[in-house]
Parts: sequence; C-alpha cells; structure tokens
Amino acid sequence: MEDVQVVAMLVRRCIAGDAAAWEEIVQTYSRRIYNICYRFAGSGEDAQDLTQEVFIKMYRTLSSYDPSKGAFVTWVTTITRNLLVDHFRKTKQDRITDSMDSTASEHEDAQPLSEQIPDQSAPPDARVRQRELSETVHRALSNLSPELREAVILRDLQDMDYKEIATVLRVPEGTVKSRINRGRAELARLLQRTYRQVM
Amino acid sequence: MSDHTSNGMQCNEFDLLLSDALDGILSGPGLDRFQAHARTCKTCGPLVEEAEAGRQWLKGLTEVEPPASLVPNILASTTGVDSQRLRAVSYVPQPRVSWWEHVQASFLEPLWAVVRQPRFAMSFGMAFFALSVGLTTLGVKPGDVWALIQKPSTIKRTYYNTEARVIRYVDNVRPVLELQAALRTIKRNVNPAEPGPSKQQKERKNDTTQQPEQKQERNYSQTGEKLILARAPLGPSVFDGSSLDPSNPDLPVVSVTTYRRFV
Repeated sequence: MEDVQVVAMLVRRCIAGDAAAWEEIVQTYSRRIYNICYRFAGSGEDAQDLTQEVFIKMYRTLSSYDPSKGAFVTWVTTITRNLLVDHFRKTKQDRITDSMDSTASEHEDAQPLSEQIPDQSAPPDARVRQRELSETVHRALSNLSPELREAVILRDLQDMDYKEIATVLRVPEGTVKSRINRGRAELARLLQRTYRQVM
Repeated sequence: MSDHTSNGMQCNEFDLLLSDALDGILSGPGLDRFQAHARTCKTCGPLVEEAEAGRQWLKGLTEVEPPASLVPNILASTTGVDSQRLRAVSYVPQPRVSWWEHVQASFLEPLWAVVRQPRFAMSFGMAFFALSVGLTTLGVKPGDVWALIQKPSTIKRTYYNTEARVIRYVDNVRPVLELQAALRTIKRNVNPAEPGPSKQQKERKNDTTQQPEQKQERNYSQTGEKLILARAPLGPSVFDGSSLDPSNPDLPVVSVTTYRRFV
C-alpha cells in the first residue's frame, strides 16, 4: 500500500516542520481512518471527532514512529484502534447487549432493526435497496462485540493481513483468525435472523 | 471452539484453517482434512457457511465518503494552519444574489405580507379609491401619469409648458390692469372721494363685545397724570392739636388721604 521509503521521507519532512508534508499525510490517511472509525463507532459525527483525535495524537507522537518496526499504516491503525478502545470504554457500549430486534436508537418508539429492513418482495430502486442493505449490515456490525468487530473491520473492510492485524491488536495471529471467523459467523447469524423475520 | 476431534483434525485446528480456506490459500491434504472435518463435525460444519456468508455481507459494504470539512478541520486542529487551498476545495459556492433580489427579500416581501392582511388590504383599497376619485376630479388622466412614469423627460417639458402658460397669462392681463388703474385715477381727480364712514365707526358698529375701544391700562401706580388729593371733611385733623381740646364734642377724626386717578 505504501512505499516505505517514501513514507519515511514524508515523516522526516513532517518532523522537520514541513507543513506540506503533514498535509499530504492527512490527505492520504484521513479517508482510511475515518472509515475505520465510522464502522466501529457507528455514527458519522463520532467518526469525524475520532478521526481528528487520531491525527492530533499522530501529530504529537510522529517522532516516535520507527520505520524499522513496521509499516506506517500499521502504526496509524494502531493509534486509531487504541483511541477507539478508549472511546468504547468512555461510551460504555460494552454494557449494551441489545439484540437485532432491540431498538437501534435511544428512543423507545423507534422501530426495531428487523422492522427497518425493507420488504424484499417489493424492492424499490436498486440503488436505494443497496443503500438500505448497507445500512442493515452496518447496524448488524455495530451489534458485534468490540473484539470481533475490530477484527472483521480490519480484515474485511481495510484488507489488512493477519500479521498486521495481530500487531495492531497485540494478539497472536491464531487469535486474530479465530476472531475473524467468529465475527463473520455472528454477523451472518444476526442478518439471517433479521431477514427470516422479514420474510 | 471445542477440542472435539473428527477425521484426525481438532476443532481448534479447523478454526485456524478456516480463514485460509475462505481466502482460497488452503490446498492439498490440508484442504481434504478440512473438508472432511466440516462434513462430520456438527459444530464446525455450519461455521464454514456462516463465515462465508458473513464475509460476503461485509464485502457489500462500500467505503463511506468523509465530510469535506474533515481535512481542513484536522489541519486547523493540528498545525493551526488555515489552508486557503483546502478551504477553496471545501467551499461550496453560494448562488449570487442580485441587488433586486436582495431588496425583494428584505423589503418588498415583508411589506407585501403586511399588505395582504385583510385589515390593511381594505384600508389600502379605500385609499386607492379616494386617490383615483381625487385625480379624476382634478382632470388627471392615468395615461398622463403613466406617460410621466415611462418618460421622465416629459416632466421637464411639462414644467416649461406650465411656466410659459403662466407668463402669457400675466402678459395678457397686464394692459387690462393698467387701464383699470388709469380710469380709477381719473375718476378720483374728477370727483374727490367723499369721506366715508370711518373705519373705526364701522368696526365699532359690528363690535358686540361691549368692550371699551381702547384698552384700559390697569395701572395703580402713583405716577399717574390726573392725581386728585381727596380729603374727608369730617373734622379737624388729629395732627392740628384741636382734637386734644376736651370741650370739642367731635371725636378725633382720622383723615385718610387716597390717591385716585380718575379716568
């Protein structure tokens, strides 16, 4: 994904005070970090705040990056993951054990997730249907446990290899694989249950 | 994952190979053993299908587009640099509003909203009716007003025409007035004017207020011109010494002198 030498040079320029180099780093990695935050936190506003926090932390600790220890993207993803864990602890999402049929929002009168899924027998426009499908999967992903969620996000949405994920999550590679398998299976079960109710 | 063994493969080993199998990198005897375990193990068998289904669901998730303000906000929060180039990228141009649209939005539309109220509409209707009646009475045609509005130069022409008309009228009337003045002078010389009733008498005749003609000045000061010394003739004054005589039956009389002005 990245040329190690180019990124190392970019980081050196940035540490030396080159604002253009920092801008290039932000332009290159902001989209990726935003997507990780969005899929993990679930909301666009939280993702935007978290992405800013990631870059603030990155800007302060840029001099601690050692190219010999790993790729820059792994280092960036590690910072992101650590902040997401902190955010998760702060927001106490681990206490929420709602199922797919529980209300997705905080409002009592909100529709459960299974009722929000459109009727498949009368599909509207294909683009609208695809968007609704993505929303459904996104909500199901939010219902996974954080350990499984982060593993499948990094593997299936960010296309990281198992070794990089193991570095980011600081767990053995076998644990990463196991979490990914269980995360995928759990997601499928949640979605199958939801669609079975609709059908 | 249980430690159950089936076809020479434990479930833990199956779990480790599952990712590789789904990624398509598992082959050879390892794949055979894996498939054999999946067929016989009631726990691991369904896991292959579920994991594959979950992977397919996640493939359908597309990357979301971050907001345009994200990068400028990051740069502002980190370096404090307000990048003009980034602002230009994230800047959404607003539609240009002409001065007439501005006036219309800020002045005319609120005014029209007020005018449309029934109570004001009736008042404006009456005012318009009165104005049209007044203009019709004065002989002003709407066409003239419209011509004036359409052509501001006609206002100037109308002004000069009116001025010329007034000058011509004065020029025409002047000989008549001079003739009348000459005749009046001749008549006065031939028959001296009889003294008519004075203006004062005429005014007095019509005066019904019963007030004196000249306003009396109510001045009680001692400096009046017609001062008369008045003295009471009752007896000797207390100051001439006769009042001290006991034989005098008259009591001492105090004389009071007043100054009065008779008008």
